[in-house]
Amino acid sequence: MNEERTNAASEATDGYFLRADGITKIYADGTVALRQATLEIRPREILGLLGENGAGKTTLTKILSGLLPPTKGRVVSPRGPVRFSSPREALDFGIGMVHQHFALVGTFTAAENVALSHERPFSFVQLGKTKEQLERLMAESGLRVPLDVPVSQLAVGEQQRVEILKVLSRDVDLLILDEPTSVLTPLEVDELFALLRRLRDKGTSIILITHKLKEVRSVTDRIVVLRQGELVGDVRTKETSAEQLAQLMVGRALDDASRTVELSDEDLPTRREARRADDGRVVLHVEDLVVRSDTGEIVVDHVSFDVHANEILGIAGVEGNGQSELVEALTGLRKAVSGTATINGTDILGVDPRAIYQLGVAHIPEDRWELGLVLPFTLAENAILGIHRWDEFRGPLSFLRWGRINRHVRGLIDRFEIQATGPSAPARSLSGGNQQKLIVGRELAKDPAIIVASQPTRGLDIGAAKYIRDLLSEMRDNGRAILLVSADLDEALARADRIAIMYEGKFMTIRTPDELDRETIGLLMGGVTTKEVA
Amino acid sequence: MSDRTQPLSSRLLRGAHRTLTGLHPALESLLAGVVGLLVGAVLMYIWGYDPWRAYIALFRGAYGGSYEWASSIARGTPLVLTALTFSICLRAGMFNIGAEGQMYMGAIASVMIALFALPAGLHTIVGLVFAALAGAAWSLVPAFLKLTRGVHEVISTIMFNWIGRWFALYLAIYVLVDPARAEKTLSIPVGARFPILVRGTDLSYSVFLAVAVALVIYFVLWHTAVGYEVRAAGLNPTAARYGGIRNKRTMFLSFILGGMAAGLAGAAIVMGLPPTYAIFGGGAMPQLTNIGFDGMAVAMVGRNHPIGIILAALFFGGLNAGGRVMQFYGSNPVPLEMVRVVMGAIVLTMSIPELFRLFPAIKKQGERFVGFWRRAAQRSPRRSA
Amino acid sequence: MSWNDILALLRISLHAMVPITLTAVGEIVGETAGLFNIGLEGTLLISAFAAAIAAGAAGPTVGLLVGMGIGAAIGLVFSIINTYWKGTQMVTGIGINLFAMGFVAFGLIKLGAPGFHAVPRAAQLAKWRTPMGAMSPLILVALILPFVVYWFLKRTRAGLILKAVGEAPEAADVAGIRVNRVRLLATTFGGLLAGLAGAYMSVAWMGLVTKEFSAGRGFIALATVVFSGLNPLLALLGGFIFGFFQGLAEWMKTLPSKPIPSQFVSMLPYIVTLLVVSGAIGRVRFPKALGEPYKRE
Repeated sequence: MNEERTNAASEATDGYFLRADGITKIYADGTVALRQATLEIRPREILGLLGENGAGKTTLTKILSGLLPPTKGRVVSPRGPVRFSSPREALDFGIGMVHQHFALVGTFTAAENVALSHERPFSFVQLGKTKEQLERLMAESGLRVPLDVPVSQLAVGEQQRVEILKVLSRDVDLLILDEPTSVLTPLEVDELFALLRRLRDKGTSIILITHKLKEVRSVTDRIVVLRQGELVGDVRTKETSAEQLAQLMVGRALDDASRTVELSDEDLPTRREARRADDGRVVLHVEDLVVRSDTGEIVVDHVSFDVHANEILGIAGVEGNGQSELVEALTGLRKAVSGTATINGTDILGVDPRAIYQLGVAHIPEDRWELGLVLPFTLAENAILGIHRWDEFRGPLSFLRWGRINRHVRGLIDRFEIQATGPSAPARSLSGGNQQKLIVGRELAKDPAIIVASQPTRGLDIGAAKYIRDLLSEMRDNGRAILLVSADLDEALARADRIAIMYEGKFMTIRTPDELDRETIGLLMGGVTTKEVA
Repeated sequence: MSDRTQPLSSRLLRGAHRTLTGLHPALESLLAGVVGLLVGAVLMYIWGYDPWRAYIALFRGAYGGSYEWASSIARGTPLVLTALTFSICLRAGMFNIGAEGQMYMGAIASVMIALFALPAGLHTIVGLVFAALAGAAWSLVPAFLKLTRGVHEVISTIMFNWIGRWFALYLAIYVLVDPARAEKTLSIPVGARFPILVRGTDLSYSVFLAVAVALVIYFVLWHTAVGYEVRAAGLNPTAARYGGIRNKRTMFLSFILGGMAAGLAGAAIVMGLPPTYAIFGGGAMPQLTNIGFDGMAVAMVGRNHPIGIILAALFFGGLNAGGRVMQFYGSNPVPLEMVRVVMGAIVLTMSIPELFRLFPAIKKQGERFVGFWRRAAQRSPRRSA
Repeated sequence: MSWNDILALLRISLHAMVPITLTAVGEIVGETAGLFNIGLEGTLLISAFAAAIAAGAAGPTVGLLVGMGIGAAIGLVFSIINTYWKGTQMVTGIGINLFAMGFVAFGLIKLGAPGFHAVPRAAQLAKWRTPMGAMSPLILVALILPFVVYWFLKRTRAGLILKAVGEAPEAADVAGIRVNRVRLLATTFGGLLAGLAGAYMSVAWMGLVTKEFSAGRGFIALATVVFSGLNPLLALLGGFIFGFFQGLAEWMKTLPSKPIPSQFVSMLPYIVTLLVVSGAIGRVRFPKALGEPYKRE
């Protein structure tokens, strides 16, 4: 993978705070999260860590901050290699991380949360002293938070400030922030960046993990790009452009040998042959949909779109921009704030899941294990979840006709090539891909008008992933409407007839894939509208 | 992290369901049984008894001859029913610890049929119906409290155990008392009793009742849509809801069925226990005590499956029957309470998944150890050469 | 009802309050840290028994200490099983209860009289003579301890740690706290208090041990914990309420003419528990991580 590496990396290696040397991380299930990542962290510098979902950014920083051990490679300081076996050790060393999902105790106040990370268990909680210290910190840093309110009652932006204060109170040399701006208003973002610059000027190293191009260009000194676990770029911010970054982030996959399996020639004709989106009738109509997240923010911001029969509408974009909540609102798991959504004319907002099923909506959920399957159940038992009351499967006195059910399941096993020992194999013994096939098979048995597929190939090996994608294309050809939400851009580009790019709750655009080049897509995913490309 | 959205009961139940380590569930129960017996043996030894002799007496008294078998089965019969109570509710994701109280209410309800006369077979059936209804009613209140006020069913069912016990005792002493012998209730009329199956033992036809109920429960849970919903709701309420299952409904249903089973257990004892076929108020109903709690142990060892429960009840019934013999055997007999100690130890063992993981781990260590010494033995002749 | 009757009632209530309050306060500590110990009933029973024996052999103080020790040991076993060994709290608790029932019944037989054992006068903890009659000094302990624990939970960093571990173990982990170890300590302490409660019952209050000595007190204590919302001061109140009703039941039994059959009177404490718990539930909030073993991801 020979991508650009400019002067930044070959600059003087003294004067670094920490260096990651050839870090490789392979998880227990075989996923390669990081591959030979080498990175230097320097004092008095804000380093941007850029990449899509699954690129390895969080993994890398977790390794740096002691939450995870690397499989290969090591972390080195000027004084020699360092190993942290707990976040506490990393903190003592001077590394503090502000996580995307805050590590705060909801019922504690800000002061109590900060007091938690200080020494000596049996000391009295000197909230007074802690508060003094916090007041000083707040004055210095410009961050203001109410100190005596339970953290769970604070706005998310304030919660994040508590997290930052917590870390700052330990006087860190390296501050890592994981997607900090996803929960902030623009004003708060400005304040945060001002703080980061102040800290940097005082000598702290800062790593900012983000997928937002505009931001990374505005506040960082250096940018490192990760793609699929590899470091593909290490550039000075001033010397690069948004387009360059976008390219690095999403890659020139068409030239990439290892990716041809997904984007093979077979795929392209399928897309070409598909009828133009306008031809089919509208199955799902969404208008002005507004949805709030669990923490109260608006995460789906007046979204409108239609999905037609014989069409795959892809929703692409980095995860966390509202896609999950959108799907939940459409499948009955979450109440929308306002707007309308109809299936073939019937209203589906606020309706319970079963009724939505009966309207012809099938759902392949994002989280297989929580929503899609009852893991201890057998294949057969899972295959009829939701359709167990069908007349076909029921005899007198609501007896289940296992004979018929098993035949049905065997049919599914054959049709979808599910690798299992039989209908009575427990669902948890199946591999991820086969579990997903089971879910897809089950949903399709409902003969749906529209299939909402949420990250359907996540965690699957290449063969299984292709299978699922082919299946969806086939369903589309058979007249169904498909809403495909995918953080995998290549998948969306290859299979969708139209793509919407979602960013911060809005659809940046809805176009056919031909009308978009990768660079534009990268920019849109990073929040840069085409007008702003400099 | 998504676990936090599940209710407290479901989370507390997580481990109770899963196949602990991948070892076959029956094997795990067997291992737990062995460990429990070992613990009992150790305690017996410490206390100066001879464990070997005691266990021989125990097993002879449990399975030594046809009379002994009959005794064991008779003791196991009510346990099957109270175990079903616990298991049905567990399958639905609930902890119903109220079998004891529900059983008392069922027992006293069945005594009520002594107040009127009916043709023989019908009389029995009416008695059973009364018992089932009483048990179900007694378990419905905790269910209701859980649904409307969020009261954790563990606490409510346990309170109802005690309330039920006292209430049943009151009825036994004051309302349904036998005018001729104040220490017992009215006896079940002859026509309503369960006939004895094996002459000279206390094994009655009630065993068929227990087995029938177990089979019915089995069919309901695994072969009807309703039972399917109960099991799904118990294992993954979120996915179940998604599949259109109404979790509240399944919860209620499980409590009703469970209560009925416990009530029937009480009836099985009273209507099947010679020679008096009555409850003894004095001494606080000794024939009924602890049937509910022992049932829980049976349920756990039986892996909450009706077939397993039948087998486990046979085992526990055997422990009880054998214990009665053991306590008279030899010069230094072991009191029969030791049996309950063994039961407790078995349940404790079942709660430790890691313990079962120890076995393959120990095996592996053992192999490594042996391999090491073998290699060492191979190397030394060469070194000396 | 004469003045003497009222004093007698008060005295009995205070005595009855002790085991419930002590056990409840201990369980509050344990549940704050995230472990739900349903085996309190068995703990009470075994420690009452062990304390009785120890006191008979070596005097009341030793008896109390032994009770505490046994309780702590059971708490320790429970917590090890359910933290490091990722066990199922419910099943472990039920196992402890079953085991205790058998063990104590068995032990009582060994001691001579099946189902019953009297602790010799000399081995009982002397009661103080007060205007209200003979009162056990442990009542004072039960009155003071909730305040101590309350203060501990609120004002020390250790209390903060306990709460963090029960609410958000990941946050605690990130802050460098050893989650499992904290839970271990918390539940062991809870067991210690339950052990003290049991020992009190046999050595300092009733002077005897029976087969069903605990009479559901362990579960009443659990209900008290719910009622208290994990606030030790409310546990004191709850303990007193339940103690009062138990005292009432006892007192009514001593009346010459019995207006209500004794069985109904015996039911009272349990009914009251139920009512209180049903009424209190709305506002109770359990720690978020209660009942879930912690795994670092």
